[in-house]
Formats: sequence, structure tokens, C-alpha cells
Amino acid sequence: MMLDTMETLCCLDGVSGGEDEVRDYILERVMPHADEIRTDPMGNLMVFKRGAKIPDRRIMLCAHMDEVGLIVTDITSEGYLRFAQAGGVNPQVLLGKRVHAGPQRVPGVIGCKAVHLTTPEQRKTLPDLKDMYIDVGASGREEAEKLASIGDLAAFDDTVVRYGDGFVKAKAIDDRVGCATMVELLESELPCDCWFVFTVQEEVGCRGAAVAAVNVEPDVALVLETTTAADLPGVEGADRVCMLGKGIVIPFMDRGTIYDRELYNTLRRLADENAIPWQTKTRIAGGTDGSSVQRSLGGVRVAALSVPVRNIHSPASVAKIAECEAQLKLVRLFLEEMAK
Amino acid sequence: MELIELARRLSGLSGPSGFEGPVCEYVANYLHPFADEVYTDVLGSVTAWKRCGKPGAKTVLLDAHMDEIGLVTTGVKDGFLSFATLGGVDPRMLPAREVQVLTEPPLYGVIASMPPHVLSAEDKGKAVPADKLYIDVGLDRQTAERLVPPGTPAVYISAFEELGEHQVCGKALDDRACAAIIIKAFERLCAQDLNVDVCCLVSTQEEVGHRGAKVAAWTAAPHAALVVDVTHGRTPDAPQVVCQCGKGPAVSIGPNINRAMAMELLALAEKKGIPCQRKAEPGGNSGTNAEAVQVSRTGVATALLSLPLKYMHTPVETVCREDMTACVELVTAYVENMEV
Repeated sequence: MMLDTMETLCCLDGVSGGEDEVRDYILERVMPHADEIRTDPMGNLMVFKRGAKIPDRRIMLCAHMDEVGLIVTDITSEGYLRFAQAGGVNPQVLLGKRVHAGPQRVPGVIGCKAVHLTTPEQRKTLPDLKDMYIDVGASGREEAEKLASIGDLAAFDDTVVRYGDGFVKAKAIDDRVGCATMVELLESELPCDCWFVFTVQEEVGCRGAAVAAVNVEPDVALVLETTTAADLPGVEGADRVCMLGKGIVIPFMDRGTIYDRELYNTLRRLADENAIPWQTKTRIAGGTDGSSVQRSLGGVRVAALSVPVRNIHSPASVAKIAECEAQLKLVRLFLEEMAK
Repeated sequence: MELIELARRLSGLSGPSGFEGPVCEYVANYLHPFADEVYTDVLGSVTAWKRCGKPGAKTVLLDAHMDEIGLVTTGVKDGFLSFATLGGVDPRMLPAREVQVLTEPPLYGVIASMPPHVLSAEDKGKAVPADKLYIDVGLDRQTAERLVPPGTPAVYISAFEELGEHQVCGKALDDRACAAIIIKAFERLCAQDLNVDVCCLVSTQEEVGHRGAKVAAWTAAPHAALVVDVTHGRTPDAPQVVCQCGKGPAVSIGPNINRAMAMELLALAEKKGIPCQRKAEPGGNSGTNAEAVQVSRTGVATALLSLPLKYMHTPVETVCREDMTACVELVTAYVENMEV
């Protein structure tokens, strides 16, 4: 169930600044289960649901709706689209990839001159981002302008594949898995009252969460996220960050946040007591909406639960299904703990 | 079957050089109902004959190749597959790339990309060489070793898709788009009264050195040959390329091509109002099967007709529909026009 929800969410487009499609879907799903729904001028979706108890501290769960992608910056006279990154896309994963641009989901490909036409030196380097382009099959500017406009957002190809021993490949697993966890929780009975905040613009600087936290005024926030896994041949030790198959990640720190030690310990204890495999990050890398939430208002206690993802921020991000499900299980235990 | 539909079907089959089995089978089955004779030779090339029944008739050979570039696994490391390239693969296409590993049944895989945090500042703008990349099939070491012996080929996964109104994109359009072209031309010619015997050759192992065409041309022993392959189409990052998508097939002129045949093709195109463009081929080697066919047996009068294609040897090879149609027209007209 949770996996189906995640896969459905991954197929929707929500490049930072254009999260509408994702928000609309979530809203439709959670509306019947919500006690209060708020939105704000940035597009955050804040959903309150009552549980069995009123907790001592106001609890907020948080996941971001946006995904990394591209934004069209120009249309050339030959009919190709120039673009910039919306969020941190590794340029190494762009060449020869499919995207769809704008509200009409116009198919395009990120072209690159054939290997035969390159020098050995060029084959070892990447073109500058400013020299890359999307080909939408137009023969000139006029034809291209019928298909796309400057400012259109472009998202990666959206096929979902389950493969191997319990793995799933999709775009935007970062952070539709967190959104799916929250949708599933909203559709169930809760042990205590809880705010569910679906944020915008995480990938461009955790901007949505900053204002959503002010709106919701939480005492405690748990960020449901993903984190990069470099568990590949040739990468050793701490550089692997975390590994698929080793459990859900409970981070103590990343580049944006030193997580609240009390909550960190609580999550670890709950995982241990319930035999949920977990690991922590072995490298201080990345960041989450926790950074914004922690320093909002007069300060908020923040923790995170992250699903390890290979090839994060690429069209082919990969997660272990068991770890997506573990996120949901552990959040539920966390809410039960908060209800005590 | 319509031309574009045939190209779509062919593009979807897996057949890297030396492992063309599924393409070979499909092509042979397709040709069987209307050809006088169809055979598959020891290298896997498919040859179909239409005999005109006129005494002393000469033979014209139509050639396009069925193989595509790909990868071949070399071992298992930590459950991931190491691989070598099969044909001219651009390593920059590989990170976060979906592939089909051609075991029986095939396995889905993703070529893992190194996250930016494990790359040095110097390596960030660079392409990762293929020997530093691995295919993630989501299996542990023992299972991967059991299921994927070294030497297992793999190909890109890339759906055939329409780009705009006039272009289509997919993998292996080099040279399956042209295989579709000669098959459709041959199908039309089979329904006509001709002055020559026509031999339709869909050849193997072009990408590794024109090997299939070399032996198949020997067996067919044609008097004249029309090789149909792709040529680079101009893109923003390759403005020096002369041929352009949308301007019709290119008629090559140079030492690898029989000049009289090239002139006849150009004259015929003009007479019939078929768009076409000229392409100079300065060397003795056009990089196509024309090289092998021209010097077969005691020499063959050989012409080269090229379909302009953007992003050659990538998973998003792109061609123009109208160019494909024009190519069928020109091939058909040329053979119809041949004298006894």
C-alpha cells in the first residue's frame, strides 16, 4: 500500500517551484481524513489530524513535495531549449536522458553530440551546463515555442521499476517516500494529534519549511527524508554514507542540522526495541528541512528519518522497499511514544 | 506494418553486436511472407531474395545492419556487475542509466552513479570512465554470480518516443531505422515486376567492424549494392556537421562510393521530387558496411544512402520521420529504375 502510494507520487511532477500536481494529489487523498487543512502563499500543505491523545508537545511531521529537475532558460533559433538546474542535479547524470517539459509534459531529450564527433579529451569531460540543451523535436524557434516556453519546468522520465531483491527505481523518491509515509499515516488512526506538513522548495534551500513551521508552531518536528547512499564498488568506509539493506537512517548530524539528541536517542531505542534495522550516516553530508524548522520561531526540537537512496537526484534513483516501509513503521512507533 | 511502427518494434528488441538473436528472428519472420527465399547465415545476418525471373538478371543488394552498441559484463563485485563496452559507447551516457542485462530471462539494472560527495573537485566536471562504473541489479554477490556469468551482454533501456511532430527518438535507431527502411522498400519491390533480382540483407556485427556484411555479401555475390546507414545530423554542439535532420537522406560521394550510382541517385531524387542532401566521404572508409561490400569478391558497385540521425550511439538517437519516408521512396525508385 505504502509502496503503491510512493510510486504514484513519484510519477507526478513537482520540480521546485511547481509542486501543484503533487499537492493536488495529496490533498485529494488526505482531505477525508483531515481535521484541519492549511495552505500558504508558497504552496505548502499543512494537514492536522486528531489522534487518541493530545500530546504534551505539539508534533509536526514534515516531508517535501518538490523534486530536483530543470528549468527552461532560453529557446535557440534552431529550436533547442537551454536550461538551468532547479535543485542540485549532478551534471554527470544528464546527458542522453529523457525529460518532459511544461504543463503539457512535452517529451524531450538532453542531447549531446555523438561520441564520434568528440576528441578523446572531450570524452573525458562534461559539457558546461550552459552548453547542454533539450531537444523537443522542433526544427526552429517558432516550432519550439509552440511546445515549450521560457520558465517551463522539466522533470525526468517517470517510469517506475521494481527489480532485484526488493529494490525500486523511480525519479523523485527524494522525497515522495516521505510524502507517502505521511499520506498513509493520515489514512490511519493516530495515537496522538499530529500536524503533517508537505513542504515546497526543499531542494532550493529548505525554503517552504521555514514558513510552514511558523504557521504550525511545533515543539517537536520529525523530518521524513531520503539520504544519499554511496555503497558502490570502489567506495570504502565512511564515504559510503549509508548502505541499502542496512536499515533506515537515523542521522545525528548533516550539513544543515545537529539533530536533537533526545529525539535521536528515542528513535534509536524504538528501532532497537522493535527490531527495526537502522543505521546512521557516516558522513556529514546533505541537509534536510530540519535546518529551517529547527531555527524557526524560538527553536524547535528536530529529528530525521531517512531512506537510503542510490543515484539520488537522478532520473534513476533506487531505494530498498523494506526501508521505505520501515520509515512508516518507525514514525508510527514515534507517535505512540509521543502519546505516552 | 507502417514504416514507423516497424522501426518502433525493431528499436525495442535487444541485439548488441554478436548477440542479435531476437532481431534476427523478428526480421526473418517479417520477411518470410513476401520474399522468395529467406536465410540466416552463420554470423546471424538475414538475407531475403526477390527474383525477377528474367534470364541473366543482375543482383542488387540492399543492406542495413541490425546490431546495436551495448555492454558486456566482465564480473561481479560486491553484487554489482563490472562491464566492458561493446561498440562505440560514450561513457558520459552511462551514470544513472537503465539497462537490460540479457540473461534468460533478462534482468533489469541501473548503472550506479557516484554521488558528488565522493568525487574530488577536479573529478566533478569530468566523465566517469566506463571501467569505474557498475551495474546495480539489486542482487547479493552469490545470486549475481549465479545468474550473470561474465560475458553476458546488456543494452540500454529506452522507449521509442515521438519528439514534436516530425521526429522520433529511441535506442538502436542506428541502424534499425534503416533496417525498417530497406525492409519496407523490399516489401514494396516484391509486389512489382522488376528487371533485377533484389537481395535484402539485414546484417550483424557492423558496430565492431562490418563483419556480418562482409560474409553475407560474399554469399549474395551482388553486382551492385545500396548500403543504408545513419549519418550524423547537425546539433547545436556540432554546428560543423553538414547533414541536417529533415532535409532528406544523404547521398554520399567519395572513393567508397560508386560515383555513377551516386549521381543517378541524386538525379532520380530530383526527378521524383524526393528531398535529399549530398555528403562528401573523403576516405576509402565511410565507416559503414559500404566499406566491406565494395571490396567483396571481385568488387561491387556500391552506393551509400544515409539517414541523418542526432546523438548517434546514445539511448536517445533521434531521426526525422519524413527523412525515413523519403529514404524508402528513393531506395524503391532506384531499384525500380534499374535496367536488365
